[in-house]
Amino acid sequence: MTAIQANQLDRALVAAPASSMAASRAPLAAVSAQRFNAWYGPNHALVDVSLDIPVRHVTALIGPSGCGKSTFLRWINRMNDLVDTARAEGVLRLNGCDLLHRRVDLVDLRRRVGMVFQKPNPFPKSIYDNVAYGPRLHGSPGRAELDETVEACLRKAGLWDEVKDRLRDSALSLSGGQQQRLCIARTLAVNPEVVLMDEPTSALDPRATTRIEELIRTLREQYTIIIVTHNMHQAMRVSDRTAFFYHGRLIEQGPTDRVFNHPDHPETRDYVAGRFG
Amino acid sequence: MSRGTTAPTPPGPADPGQTGGTPLKLRLGVVSGDLALGLLCRGAAALVLLMLVALVGLLGHAALPSLRAFGADYFTSAEWRPNELTRPLRGPDGRVVVVDGERQTETLPPRFGALPVIYGTVATSLIALVFAVPLSLGAALFLVRVAPRWRAAAPVAFLIEFLAAIPSLAYGMWGAFVLVPFLGRHVEPLVFRALGDVTWLKFLFYRDNPVTGQSIRIPLEGRDMMAGGLILAIMILPIVTAVARDVLRAVPRSQIEGSLALGATWWQSSRAMLRYGRAGLFGAVMLGLARAAGETMAVTLVVGNRVEIVPSPFASIQTMASLLANQFNDPVTEVHRSALIGVALILLVISLLFNIVARSLVVGGQSRTALSD
Repeated sequence: MTAIQANQLDRALVAAPASSMAASRAPLAAVSAQRFNAWYGPNHALVDVSLDIPVRHVTALIGPSGCGKSTFLRWINRMNDLVDTARAEGVLRLNGCDLLHRRVDLVDLRRRVGMVFQKPNPFPKSIYDNVAYGPRLHGSPGRAELDETVEACLRKAGLWDEVKDRLRDSALSLSGGQQQRLCIARTLAVNPEVVLMDEPTSALDPRATTRIEELIRTLREQYTIIIVTHNMHQAMRVSDRTAFFYHGRLIEQGPTDRVFNHPDHPETRDYVAGRFG
Repeated sequence: MSRGTTAPTPPGPADPGQTGGTPLKLRLGVVSGDLALGLLCRGAAALVLLMLVALVGLLGHAALPSLRAFGADYFTSAEWRPNELTRPLRGPDGRVVVVDGERQTETLPPRFGALPVIYGTVATSLIALVFAVPLSLGAALFLVRVAPRWRAAAPVAFLIEFLAAIPSLAYGMWGAFVLVPFLGRHVEPLVFRALGDVTWLKFLFYRDNPVTGQSIRIPLEGRDMMAGGLILAIMILPIVTAVARDVLRAVPRSQIEGSLALGATWWQSSRAMLRYGRAGLFGAVMLGLARAAGETMAVTLVVGNRVEIVPSPFASIQTMASLLANQFNDPVTEVHRSALIGVALILLVISLLFNIVARSLVVGGQSRTALSD
């Protein structure tokens, strides 16, 4: 979060000069990792991961529990800075900018890389104030502007029709599925480029899950989405590309269709066939 | 108590052999050891309750004579006068009445109004909160969010809680020998020099003479409400910090991450934490208030002990607890004694209320908002 924590990053491998902060090439990939390694204490959580995540596509990260997919996700918005023992080496770029650089403004990074969590985590405020939270953090928008943003984001999240008459009600009065869509609306309200989703439907019932999946497909038009999921059918349904992690290594990546139907690696084949995981 | 029965036939399948299972064992009778211990525990719990009820009842009974004598006046009068007072009689113009060249006097009966000490307690407690709450919340945020990273959480928490272990009298001595002279010599003259000429702040430095009605300067000696409030602030710091720390620690990680993920700064996400735990934090403040209201020795050494209402933080005042410490040893009359017990009763009720409110807001270190999530 602060310079103190950022200092803990061991930047020995990537001595990126400040000039490389600016995008030096047209970004084909929204997020790009090269020989990216991450540790929790002595535990080597990610080993030499190289992965390009294309703009305005849905990329699914799959793999058994503890394979490192969530770790990878939480490095993209530097949420792992909250973990004292977390450490990373290698290259991880957002639009070509080194996002591991110790002088990266985390507030700016996280505004541009939104995150939806496993369990819906609305704030104990009204529905309106939940969506307005982000815009208010980054400035003092006028009333009309804020109303517009809130409505637009609730519409994008497919929640507007359900809540338009009770925007002042507590967000905690919503059902689990509605809460999660509210959290997505809240994330969209700061106009991010990339949206990270960490098993966004694992706490929801099948019906709410279907709605979120439909929503993800529509959001793909405007946002780069990276979704971690345990549910392989979900990955097949919502994603354009899939990356399979196993024991901290990226085993295979490619178009979802190919990864699931014609995987190159035997581990991928076994995992997608449901033989382990 | 004795749920054990002596039924000879166990419930379950009539013929255990059919299912191959073993029938449930049944207790054969009342187990005397369990019974005795159960009774003992219930008795102990009842005794604690009984003591509280007896305390309130006895205090109420002992305070009755003064309440009967003064009625509502007991709560509304600003005069606390254990002895008869004989003073020159003054006319409506404020001049001493002279008849036949002889100055007339009037004799006022003893009077017991608890309002000045209620005011003193409330005012010193509020001053304490003004200073202690921001410090405590800051310290709690530090302990929860910053200190763990520096491995400083345990030592700092120990030091803060150590403040709670210092005897009240030690605070009082420090207050009387260090804080009071410091306030009187340095701080208050400085404040007077800065604000003494501001018209609407006159109430800070001037008061009405209760006899003549003239406006007089309040002597800035440091032995006043401000000193009491500051001492109390230091004394309630540990409890407010400790409870606030537990409340903030109970804020779910998902809430903090949720706000950080939207690009909140450290301070913005801390505000989200304070907001999330606001019910519990309010409870922490109430606990501090209860402690401040009941504090005696330290306060009595620094507040000047004058039973009157002067709406200035630089005036000597008296609090409920301090009044009791000062006067209870040798009450002038039975009514005086009874009036003092009445003050003790008010103090007890106020402290109980603060504690009840605080505890209903802070449930086992978790705020109610956290529980309803």
